[in-house]
Amino acid sequence: MKWVVGVVAAALAVYPVLGIGTEYHLTVAVLCLLLAVQAVSWNILSGYAGYVSLGHSAFLGIGAYLGGIAAERLDINPLLAAPLGGVLAAGVAVAIGAVVLRSRGAAFVIVTIALLLTMQVLATNLPQLTHGNQGLAMPLPPWSRDTGNLPFYYLFLALLALTLAFSAWIRTRKLGSGLIAIREDEGKAAAIGIPTTRYKVTAYASGAFFTGVAGGIYGYFLSYISPTTMFAVLASVMVVLAALLGGRGSLYGPVVGAFVVAIGSEAATVYGGGSSSRLLLFGALLTGVVLFLPQGLLPGAAAWWRARHPRTVEYTDQEGALGRLPPVRASLASGSQAELLRISGVSKRFGGLVAVDGADLVVRRGTITGLIGPNGSGKTTLFNLVTGTLRADAGEITFEGRHIDRMPPWERCHLGLGRTFQTTRLFHGMSVLENVVAPLPDGRWRTAVRGGVTGAEARRARELLDFMGLGRFAAEPAGSLSYGQQKLVELAQILMLDTRLILLDEPAGGINPALVEHLKGVIRQLADQGVTFLLVEHNIPLVLDLCDPVVVFSQGRTIAEGPPGKIRDDPAVLEAYLGDPKAERKVERPC
Amino acid sequence: MAQFVQTLALGLLIGGVYALMASGLTLIFGVMRVINVAQGAFLVLSAFVTWWVWRATGIDPIALAALTTPLMFGLGWAFYRLVGARLRSAPPSMSVLLMFGVALLIEGLLNVTAGNRFRSATPGYFDESYTLGPISLPKAPLYGFLAALAVLAVFYAVLDHTWTGRAIRAWAQNPSGAALVGVSAVPTATLAFALGTASAGMGGSVLSVLVPFFPASHYEWIARILGIIVLGGLGSLPGALTGALILGLAESLTSVYVSPQWSILVFYGVIMAVLIVRPQGLFGTRVREDVAA
Repeated sequence: MKWVVGVVAAALAVYPVLGIGTEYHLTVAVLCLLLAVQAVSWNILSGYAGYVSLGHSAFLGIGAYLGGIAAERLDINPLLAAPLGGVLAAGVAVAIGAVVLRSRGAAFVIVTIALLLTMQVLATNLPQLTHGNQGLAMPLPPWSRDTGNLPFYYLFLALLALTLAFSAWIRTRKLGSGLIAIREDEGKAAAIGIPTTRYKVTAYASGAFFTGVAGGIYGYFLSYISPTTMFAVLASVMVVLAALLGGRGSLYGPVVGAFVVAIGSEAATVYGGGSSSRLLLFGALLTGVVLFLPQGLLPGAAAWWRARHPRTVEYTDQEGALGRLPPVRASLASGSQAELLRISGVSKRFGGLVAVDGADLVVRRGTITGLIGPNGSGKTTLFNLVTGTLRADAGEITFEGRHIDRMPPWERCHLGLGRTFQTTRLFHGMSVLENVVAPLPDGRWRTAVRGGVTGAEARRARELLDFMGLGRFAAEPAGSLSYGQQKLVELAQILMLDTRLILLDEPAGGINPALVEHLKGVIRQLADQGVTFLLVEHNIPLVLDLCDPVVVFSQGRTIAEGPPGKIRDDPAVLEAYLGDPKAERKVERPC
Repeated sequence: MAQFVQTLALGLLIGGVYALMASGLTLIFGVMRVINVAQGAFLVLSAFVTWWVWRATGIDPIALAALTTPLMFGLGWAFYRLVGARLRSAPPSMSVLLMFGVALLIEGLLNVTAGNRFRSATPGYFDESYTLGPISLPKAPLYGFLAALAVLAVFYAVLDHTWTGRAIRAWAQNPSGAALVGVSAVPTATLAFALGTASAGMGGSVLSVLVPFFPASHYEWIARILGIIVLGGLGSLPGALTGALILGLAESLTSVYVSPQWSILVFYGVIMAVLIVRPQGLFGTRVREDVAA
């Protein structure tokens, strides 16, 4: 792979000086490189994190207009202003992204289109600054006419190399694997400490920066910019199409796609007779790629290769696992307060349904607290309120004496709150090892730019996987594991962090009895080391054996609490689980 | 004062037409969980068909809705059957891109067949008005408004009072739940999608008289109706009605009291402001995201 990239880069570097092709061909090559810069920078958010933007050329236009206005008003060479255009574009991306990227769903794509169209209207309607529909003329380049577009070619080539290097760098950092995690399962990513909003905004802004710089150079190259050429929807579509066709989420895919799309677009204009044929070409390509090649050319080829050359993997190393001791976290901070988690008067309603109704619950340090209750009694909702997946309507939650009810999930995780999910939620596209190293211990920038899978961390992850009996699966995609194996990987994820309280949502569901025993041992051992557990489980014998105290939940609140022996005989508990025994007897008597 | 009342009246008339267009888009959102960005292109397509038949035969453009509505219904039906249903398991962003591709195809085809020029259907009454005291009501928007209102009434009657309508709404809320109680998935979704495109058929016929259009007008139209349903709350039918009236009024007021060239910015501004401040819109509800894993 490396040598292919090297050969292509060398070919691109020497192409203009070889004297093959005409000035026209060089112009087409410049357009290819421009599209490649945009597609690679689009890919940083939209490919890695999966948030598709349909208005990426807004940033191209912002960069170009800043360059044009600076040249006209301040007499600055547009090339010097280009980095400033990048900064302005990144600023706009931060301002928009910081609010829109807080939420998930359809909002982002709509806002990106609206942003592009808004910029177009502004550029048209503010003639004092932009000359409106007349457009802005750029100064002519200082170099001689014979040099032509050669400098632009090398400028764009250098910018493409920079953008690619940045994209590659980000992909190997924690930031990059965090973005992939967001694409795979954003809620889970937040629960293991990834500050999702900040990561998304960072990705959006860095993509906007490179495109903004490209815009400054592009405006100079065109020597004339207008609202419809710079803020064109079709230009945005080309960016999306290029990345999609080449393979979004892959490093070089967008570059390959950009060359195909830019050359195709040029050919359609020349041979197909104008803009209608470009529209038809892009429309057909876009629908075709979405329907028939959704993963794109490069990842598609890679998948084909893997299918032809399968690797064999052995089964779970269960016996080996059962013999091992859990790897210990060196330092487990022990605080002073006996109450680790306090939930007081917390309520949550979904429309008319009150899922949690003024619940009170205290988890004491060093305990394995069990939480049982019938289905629908609000246990999982309570978990979600504690970890921040949901916000409570009323009441307060404190962790080690600190209010956490207003914190986003990742901050709660950084404080030492970890959880597993009832149905496992792993990042299926990542390898098992990448899954285990995905959790982030804190939200510092230094952590975000640390290598994704580094020495000590990777060693510990491998230890944990060996301990779970999954060492042989480290390089496999997590999606190929069985349900029970995924549960174990999820537990390993939590153990990566310096977690003080672990919330386990039905840890024994779907795991074979031998492993359940193993799991019990793990939990006890970790508890001895000072980790506290809150555990939801329907396997009552397991709860009564493992937990003390046991809390019983019914209809959104605690109805009983105490040592397992007491809970077993509590009439209120029996009633909540089995119905009112007296009522049943009344029915039986007449028979 | 007269000018103000006049502006309000025009805003309400155009708001009624928007309500029809937006209802279709919000219905499709309810079914597909994606924004049908091709809805604007469907509108413009129907406007072109109307214009073309009107010029060839002289039949009243608004009355031609009787032709374009079933036509677009059929088109939507066929499209969802052939293509849309395949995307139900794909991530929403892919469906958006697919519909964008469809919009470009329609725009390209219209460019090739009808040319990249502004068109407008001009029946005899297009520049006439009724005079009501100090205000004058132009006939074209008035007829368009009445026609849109009639179709909207039918639309809502179907959704509210028929088994099919309830099936559509049930399916939109929970496809697997609806399937369990006997709502067959694909025909119901297809019907909802086709109803959505049918409303674009009707809307397009009215549009052909009200505003000049050309193939690339679909961007502006999708922005308009998208702004409306974002304001009302994606997927909410009462939201689409309210949003349409509010933005119809806001657009008229801006174009009279500020400048017509800034009026489209009302829609973009609303889209951004609403999604930033209150993403669920006026009538939308937040669904719980935590259970769906």
